[in-house]
Parts: sequence; structure tokens; C-alpha cells
Amino acid sequence: MNAPEPNLHGIAPRTGELARIVRVNEEIKAIVATAFRINLMALNAIFLAKRAGNAALGFGVLSNELRRFAQDLTRHMASLREMTSGSVGSVTGVVQQQRMATILAAALKLSGDGVPGAREARRRGAARLAEQQIRLRSLDLRLRAAVEETQQLVELGGVLARSAKIEAAYGGSFSAALMQVSTDFAEVIAQIKRSLEVLGKERLVKD
Amino acid sequence: MKQAHCIYQDEEHRWLAIARDASKPGYIIDTNEYVVVHGEEALLCDPGGIEIFPAVFSALSAECDPTRLAGIFASHQDPDIISSLALWLEFKPDLKCYTSWLWQSFLPHFGGQDSTFVPIPDPGMTIRLDGLELQAIPAHYLHSSGNFHLYDPKAKILFSGDVGAALLPADNNDLYVQDFSRHIRHAEGFHKRWMGSDRAKRDWCERVSRLEIDMLVPQHGAIYQGADVQRFINWFAALEVGVLRS
Repeated sequence: MNAPEPNLHGIAPRTGELARIVRVNEEIKAIVATAFRINLMALNAIFLAKRAGNAALGFGVLSNELRRFAQDLTRHMASLREMTSGSVGSVTGVVQQQRMATILAAALKLSGDGVPGAREARRRGAARLAEQQIRLRSLDLRLRAAVEETQQLVELGGVLARSAKIEAAYGGSFSAALMQVSTDFAEVIAQIKRSLEVLGKERLVKD
Repeated sequence: MKQAHCIYQDEEHRWLAIARDASKPGYIIDTNEYVVVHGEEALLCDPGGIEIFPAVFSALSAECDPTRLAGIFASHQDPDIISSLALWLEFKPDLKCYTSWLWQSFLPHFGGQDSTFVPIPDPGMTIRLDGLELQAIPAHYLHSSGNFHLYDPKAKILFSGDVGAALLPADNNDLYVQDFSRHIRHAEGFHKRWMGSDRAKRDWCERVSRLEIDMLVPQHGAIYQGADVQRFINWFAALEVGVLRS
């Protein structure tokens, strides 16, 4: 007899799910790093606005708002990260349960019909697997909802960056410098948007 | 394909050997599993690894109702001994696993929960199986630092884990040792390398020599019976162990 093949069959699709979690996690890490950059950029913008004085009062207000946005974004991403690390546990549970169910099924098949206790063992295994799959689906839904919420927040960030660009035009002799800062904001926020779009398309479980 | 062989029977008291799997993949070490059946209960000794679970389960089911399994005896913590634990528990969640206290918090990495494990203290203990008393006999450092063998005084069988193991050629599927001198050549390298303590070995040989043993059943290789049991003990007592290369 060769090594029992069936156990490998159950695992293949689930390893795909683990790979998806890794991709989700990588996107989250990228956004967290970008949010940290926005925070620093906003701090610099606040100092720049102070130096520009009255001509950059509006830009200063927007920079403060952008800094608050960066902090909110970091919090959102931390909660997303928590969800994905929770989903690693759930996916692993499903993988283990599937592997065990498949090997046990192979054992029962080899043993022929009518092994005492076989039906109960199958029922228990199926119930546990279903329970873990429900948990994983619910996590997936929560993750999707959280990504949508974060996308709305980032829309607000985009609005702030556009307004900062307009305010920069009124910055007098600091106008060019303020314009450069606001352009940087807009680029970074666009980058976050792209990452969130990728995140929004990822699913922890197949539909 | 593994098959269960009845190596002892006295009314409702049986020992089954699920031994010598000629069809398993070559990259997995061959293992023997033993089942002690007494009355309404059964105890599985060193159930083996995950990969061979289907073969062991079906062999056991062919000879014995698997729902009668009350426990698992794990001589030590190695994967070829007990990595199938989660699967046995999947079939029967209330199984008890008897193992050295040393591995009580390690084996849950293979499966089970706190209530699964019955820690065996260093001096050993009695394991009851539907009225039958089996003795968990210390064999520490042979080879694992927390290691037990299982003695059945009624059947006069000693399950000796890795002691007595022989890495036999693929074409040798004898259940019992046929020619001790030829057989022991396949055990020498294994014992020299895997058994780490000469002091532990001498102590084990002295203790085991005082037991009445008709069969010494190891986890790898063929079963020693009759005079070959004492022959093996004498051979082991004289062997230099803890040797990196012979």
C-alpha cells in the first residue's frame, strides 16, 4: 500500500485559504506602514503650516485632520490584523479536522462496512467541521465589513488630501512647499485605496 | 497490508500483533502495534504514526470491536509511537492515553486534552483492563528519557517498545524470530545507537530477567519467544550502547 493518498486531497483547498490569509496580512502590513508615513507627513505639514503663518491656517487645520485620519486608520488596521490572526486559528482548525476526517474515512473504508462506532465518529467529525467552517465564514464576513468601513474612512482621507491641495494654493510664498506636501498626501492615500481594493477582493473562504 | 495476528489467547484474554507491514512506503519505518484484549476492554500499545493509521485501524477492526478500546499505552513520545493519537481520539474521544508523566504536556501537540492523559510515575504503575492488571515497567533512557514497557503477568508477555527492535530487510516478514543469531545482527546497530545509557540498560536487564516472560514483543521487527527471550536479554546486557558508530 502506498502512503494514504486521501489525506492529501482534503488539505489542498485549505492550504489555499492559508495562502489567502497570508496575502491579506501582507496588504494590512503595507497599509499600516503607509498610515505611519501619513502620520509623520501630517506632523511635518503641521510644522510647515505654522511657519507659513496666517497664509496657511486652513492647511494647518487639514494637516491636523490628516494626522487624526492616520491614527484612525492605524486603529482600523490593528483590528483587521487581529481578525486575520484569529482566522489563521480557524483555518488551521478546519485543515486539521478535514485531514483527520479524511484519514478516518480511509480507515473506515478499509475496514469494510459495519465497523461499530463508525457512524457516530463520522457524525461527530462532520459536526465539528461544520462548526469550524461556520466560524470561518463569520470571520470572513466581519473582515469584509471592516474593510468596507476602512474604505469609507480612506475616502474621507482622500477628501482631506484634495482640500489640502486647494488650501496650498493660498499659501503665499509657502505655496509650492505646501503643494508638494498635499500632493504626497494624495499619492499615499491613493496607494492605500489600491491596497484596500485588493483586500476587499480577498476572501478567507470560497463562496 | 497490515494484519492482526493473535499471538496469545486464553478465553477472553488475547494479545493481537499488528505487525510487519510489507506494503507500507519504504520511507516510513515499519512498526508493530499490539492490542491487549480482556473481557469487554482493549488496550492498544504504541498505536503508531498518522500515515499508517488506516492500516492499523482496519487490521484492529478485523479482529476486535474498536469501540471496546479503553486506552492507549504510549511507551514514549516519538512520532512513530503516538502521532496518530488525534485520529484514535477522533474515533473514540474518551480514550485514555497512558504515558510517562514526562510527556504529559508534550503529547497534546499530537492531540487530546488534559483529561486524555494518565501520567505514569517514574517507578511505573498498574494499568487495569476490565479486571486484568498490567504493569507499566520503567525503561527510562531505553531509549527515551521517559520510557515504559508493558508487562502482562497472565499472558507472560512483555511489550518492550524499542528494546528488542530490529531493522529487518524488506523481504523478511517473519512474525517471530526464526534464527536468533541471524536476527540479532539487524538489531545490533539500532541498540548501539538508540539506547543511550549503559547503566539504564543493565538495570533493565536485571529487572526483566526476574520476570516470567514467554514472549518479548518489540515495536519494530520480529517477536522473541521461548529461549530467545533470555538470549536477547543476555545479548543486550553484554552490548555496548550509546555508541555513535559501530
